[in-house]
Formats: sequence, C-alpha cells, structure tokens
Amino acid sequence: MTMMTRRTLLIGGLATAGTVGAGALLLPGGTTSAQELTIDDVLFDPVNPVLGNPEGDVTIVEFFDYQCPYCKSNHPALTETVATDGNVRLVMKDWPIFGAPSIRASQLALGAADVDAYEAASNALMATQGRLTEKAVERTLKDAGLDVEAIDSAYRAERGKWDGLMARNGNQAAQLGLRGTPAFIVGTTIYAGAMSGDDLKQAIAQARG
Amino acid sequence: MTRSAHHAPPLLLRPFLAALLALFWTGAALAQSDWIRPATPLPVDEALQLDVAEGQDGQRVLTWEIADGYYLYRDYLSARTDDGTELTLETPPGIAKDDPTFGTVEVYFDTAQATLPAASGPVTITYQGCQDGGICYPPVTETLAAQDVDSAPADTLSLANDQSGLDGLQARGGPLLVLAGFLGFGLLLAFTPCVFPMFPILAGLLAGQGETLTARRGAVLSGIYVVAMASAFGLLGIAAAWSGQNLQMVLQSPAAIWTVAAMFVVLALSMFGLFELGLPAALTNRLSAVGATRRGTPVGAAALGFTSALIVGPCVTAPLAGALLYIARTGDIALGAAALFALGLGQGIPLLIAGTFGARYLPRAGGWMDGVKRVFGFVFLGMAIWLAGRLLDGPVILALWAALLVAAGVFAGAMDLLPVDTGPMRRMLKSGGVLSLLAGVIMALGAALGGSDPLRPLAPLLARAASDDAQGDLSFTSVTDITALDAALNGAADGPALIYVTADWCVTCRVIDRNVWPDPGVKAALDGVTLIAADLSTFDTDGQAMLDRLDAVGPPTMVFLDRDRREAPGTRIVGDASATRVVSAAEDLR
Repeated sequence: MTMMTRRTLLIGGLATAGTVGAGALLLPGGTTSAQELTIDDVLFDPVNPVLGNPEGDVTIVEFFDYQCPYCKSNHPALTETVATDGNVRLVMKDWPIFGAPSIRASQLALGAADVDAYEAASNALMATQGRLTEKAVERTLKDAGLDVEAIDSAYRAERGKWDGLMARNGNQAAQLGLRGTPAFIVGTTIYAGAMSGDDLKQAIAQARG
Repeated sequence: MTRSAHHAPPLLLRPFLAALLALFWTGAALAQSDWIRPATPLPVDEALQLDVAEGQDGQRVLTWEIADGYYLYRDYLSARTDDGTELTLETPPGIAKDDPTFGTVEVYFDTAQATLPAASGPVTITYQGCQDGGICYPPVTETLAAQDVDSAPADTLSLANDQSGLDGLQARGGPLLVLAGFLGFGLLLAFTPCVFPMFPILAGLLAGQGETLTARRGAVLSGIYVVAMASAFGLLGIAAAWSGQNLQMVLQSPAAIWTVAAMFVVLALSMFGLFELGLPAALTNRLSAVGATRRGTPVGAAALGFTSALIVGPCVTAPLAGALLYIARTGDIALGAAALFALGLGQGIPLLIAGTFGARYLPRAGGWMDGVKRVFGFVFLGMAIWLAGRLLDGPVILALWAALLVAAGVFAGAMDLLPVDTGPMRRMLKSGGVLSLLAGVIMALGAALGGSDPLRPLAPLLARAASDDAQGDLSFTSVTDITALDAALNGAADGPALIYVTADWCVTCRVIDRNVWPDPGVKAALDGVTLIAADLSTFDTDGQAMLDRLDAVGPPTMVFLDRDRREAPGTRIVGDASATRVVSAAEDLR
C-alpha cells in the first residue's frame, strides 16, 4: 500500500510559493493548469452511482476495472469495511483498461443504475473469476437474476451520460497521475494498489482526522 | 507501507566528491538490481521497458525488460499497422499464472521477447502488465517508425538509457549520501556563472541595512536568503513531480521577468534614497522574532533568495537535471526535493560566508555609506537591464547599458571639475567615472549601429569588414518545435548529429557560445556533424515537447547522435561544458 497526499502537497507547495513570493513578486497565474481538477469533481460526480452510506462523512473512491485481478480480490474487504463502518460513501469509478469485455461490463453495470440494480450488477461482476468475455459478462448478470436486455436498453437510452462518465473517469485518472487499477482515494489521500481491510480502516480513520 | 530501510553510508566525508563528479559527468551505468524499490508502483515505462532491435529479413525483435515484482500479459500483446491490420506477433509460451480471480493466464516475468513480422509503414505495439499483487497498468501503446528499405531508422532518434547520478548515489549509500553529495555539488556550482549574479544582490541587500549591520545580522539575512534559495530549488522538484513541468522554465515567462526587473528598479531607487522600503507594522512585528529590527528586510531577503534561484540564475546543471529526471521517473518526491534543497544550500554556503564575514568590511555610516549604496543602486539597475535583455532586442539593451554607464559616470563625478588640491581617491573616482562615460558612449554608438553584444558593442563594424571570410564559424540550424527538429534531422546528410538545447535567457549557454563553439579543436571535431540548435528562448508547449522528446530538463543540454541517429551512451553533456568534453563526445560518435 502506498500513500500520497498529493493534493495537500500541491496546495501546500503553491501556498508556500505564494507566501514567500508575496514579499516582492507574484507568481504568474499560468503556473497552475487551466482545467484544474477540484476535489468535488472527483468525490462528488453527480452522475456516478454511490454505494455505502450516501450521507457518509468520508468518501472512498476506487478507480477499477471489472477484469483487474487485484480490484476483484480486494473487493470483499472493501465492501465489508464500508458496511461495518456504516458512515462511508463508496464511489466506484469505472476505468476500463482491459479492453472490450471490461467496457461492456462497465456499460451494463452503469445501465443497471437506471433500473435500481447497480449494486447487484456491480457485485456480481466483481465476484466473477478469471477473465471475461462479453458473453460471460451477460451470463453473469443473468445468473444474478438481472434482466440483461432491460439493463442494456437502459444503458443505450442514456449512452451519452454513461460514456461521458467513463471518459471523465479516465481523464481524472490521468490528471491525478494514477498509474493503474485499483487506485483508491480515501478523503483526499491517494493510495495506489490493493488495500487490505486494515489498510482501509486506517485510511478512513486518518481521513476523519 | 513497504518502504525498505535505507542504509546509512559508512563514512560521510570521504573524498567522494571527485568520484561522484566523475560519475555524474560520465553517467556511468549501475546495476539495476541495487535498486531499493520505491514505495509507489513504478511508472509503467520503468516497470515494462520496451526495446526494439532489427532482426532478419525486415523482422523486428521486441524485448521487454520487466522490473522485479512486475509482469507482462502474453495475451495482451498486439501489433497493428497504420491502417488497422493486425500483425501476428510470435511469442514464446509464458508462465502460467494461476490467479483465483483472473483464472489461468500466461505472463512473463523478468524479460519477454516477441518477433514482429516485416511491415510497411508505422506499427503500433500495445502491451499491458501489472505489479504482482498491487496494481494493473492501463495498456501502453508505442508507435514504431516505418522501416526504410535499407532498414535504417530514418526519422526517429533513440536516446541512450543512462542512469542519472542520483540513481547511483541512492543505490550505493541511500538518502544520506545523496544529500551529502548534492550539498557538495551545490558547493562546486557556487563558482559558476549561474551563481555570480547572487553575490551583488546579497551585497546590496546587506548594504541597504546601513549602520545596523553586524556580523550576526549579516549572517541572519544571508541565512534567510540562502534558505529561501534552497527552498525554491526544493519547490522546483515538487512542482516538477506534480505538474510534469519544470517550474523554473515556466518562470522564464515575460511577466515574471518584467516583474523581477521592476523589483530591481524599485530596489535601486531605494538605494538612491528616494524612499525607504518598509512593510506594514503588523508584519514587521511578527518578523522581528527572526532577528529583524525596524525594517522588514528578512522578508526582502527571502523574496530575493527565492527569485534569485528561479529567475535570475536559471541554470540547468547536471545535478539539477539529474534530480529532476529522477523525480519524474520514480515519483520519489521527498528524496528528489530534499536533494535539490541540499543543492541550493550548497550553492549558498559561500554566500553565507561572504554575508557573515564580509559584513564587517562594509562601511558603517555617513557619506561613504551613501556612496556604497549608490554603487549598489547602479548594480541593481544593471541587474534589471540584464534581465530585460532576455526579452528586449539587442540594440535596445545596448542603449540601456549606455544610459546606465553614462549616468554612473556622471554620478562618479566624471563631469565635475576637481580643484587642484584634490586627493588621489577622488581623482581615481573621477577616472573611473570618465571611463564609464566613455564605455557608455561606445555602447550608444554600438546601439546606433545595431549591435547587440555589450561585450563587443562595435561588432557590426567588424562584421562588415570581415564578411568575406565568414566560413570559420559553426552554423547551427535553429529549430523551435519537434516537426522542425525531425525535418532538420531528416534533411541532413547521413552522418552524426548534435542537438544543442539552448535559449537566449540561459546564462551558461552564452558562456558556451563564447568559449566552446569558436574553439578550433571543437570546430575540427564537429566537422561533418549536423548541428541543430533546439531554441527554447520562447518557452511554450512546443519547447516542452522537444525537451520531452530529448528526455532533457532544459538548456544547456547537448545530445550527440551517431549516424543511425542513436545517442551514444555516456556522451550527453548537461550544464556547463568545456571544449575538451565536447571534443571527446564528438569523437565517440565516429
């Protein structure tokens, strides 16, 4: 597990530059990027479904892929920690990096949000073993008792919204310098790679201060 | 956290500096296995390094070096041509990795090889891998340039994969050795043109103190100045790590330079006694704990120190470049920033000594003090003109120098009549004033002739006389973006090439232009070498793209390419260069 408080660091660094420089010179405004990513953009994307306690005081964001082995092996620890805590918002950000089956899995899971089955779909896909094919994705959802055709048409009806969300997630991952999946953000701290239940609890406690 | 314990170096102050220096300059490669794995997952280009070699019958052999604890998926290797045709990669069977959540997949550890069939046009390679038990990277795509009929890589250049010195230090002795080493480098750099402008700035700052200056206060102010300068370097590292850009280069924007030039003018005016520089009482009171008195000079010292590091002396030197590249590559911000901080401290040590012990030699009070302050007033105006020289045309700058020299001459009494019984000191002063006046007139003349070099103001006259035999000088093709760079490389005759990253605001580059290129040995060694100057005078995204392409941090950097457009290992020169080094690098190309 790795920890970087990138945002705090960046803001702190710029603040230092500001105060030191304020005596006589101002840093040119161009040093910070124009499309600066805010914390709210990442933690509170209005389109992304929220799991756990939507009113929770700490947000966990996971950038993940339905075929990434460490996202899947990590998932039970994550859901259990969120359930036990009871006061955590969980935002699963689809960042499909393993090709077509991953994209299909994300499309259907997000489409399921419009028929109130996001959690069931997402959990079923996270519980799969091995690599997926597009067929395997559909079979998994069917076995979980979901109506794949309804989900698929729900996705197609809101295609712009969901594809936009996934594109946004990819951009955020790049802007945050995330190296791959899984990547967690707990509060405002970025953790690269899989986290155990204890790691997560500690990170949550730290986010609460 | 999985950060491994670092070993403390066995002995700190061995005469390792010379050895380290040699290491830096030669970029000696060290064993990859000595690496202490950083806590963050490696950047993907470091975890999975692709190398392409020519095979038989137009085939190409792709080899991946895979870092310890990382693996590459066999099934996710693919290659396609520009028009989307899938090419079949020949790959050996991988190791079956039985992952409970991923099933059985074939992966490669340590190293992997694939054979790419002959193809026309550019080929795009896609591959993907993971850190075992940690993180999976998004797919990586790399485009290989089209093969020529004679299978020479035509329009691309490939860089040598030399490790930076920081890697070597880190591997050998851990962070303590790195910090000590950088402190030492800083100390050596203190005697280069990059740091020289900082001596008059500090002296002026101290002189501005007038009678209140004691050795202790001199030490406090120089200390603040030096720490601020070092912090600026540290911040540079952090900014570079997070934004992927070199803050120092960004600060070479016209707005920043004008601001600082204006600041020097304001300082100069206060030296002439036009007004006293002061700060709001609340701020001054808070700062008095640091050892300040009535005036807010510690803040001034900090601001000047910070500015000096980033704007006044923007030198890219080998250690600075090494540290910035190390940070960019490993993401180890803490160590990189600390190393840069140590570099800044090292550069500041002579300043600190000068500020502390020189303080007692500055005159105390009275008329003399005013004279000294006036001198520094002119020095600060000179700094302002020197900074503006990065933005204004040569003749304008020459005219400004002329004005400054004339004014300085008049202030020194060049136009005053001296009574017969005048003492030798005043006569000397007047002589100096007359000389300054004379120099000013020559500069004005040079400006009128369209000259631009303050050291050779009348060069236009000479140039007119000597235009017949102009064959002597090396001529660089100047490029400002990648397209032009490629065009220059492609348009050149077959043979080695030298890419010289330069900018008109780069102090060290001017020294190189004056001392290295005109050297007869250098001219002979570079005969037949295509010379390209990557000009970053206007620093924008095109400039950054060129730097990224060359894996360089900034000017001055020299990249030597052999006839296959490959960088010869160990030949790159970053920072100050001597004729000897350029000659030996050029000889390595042949």
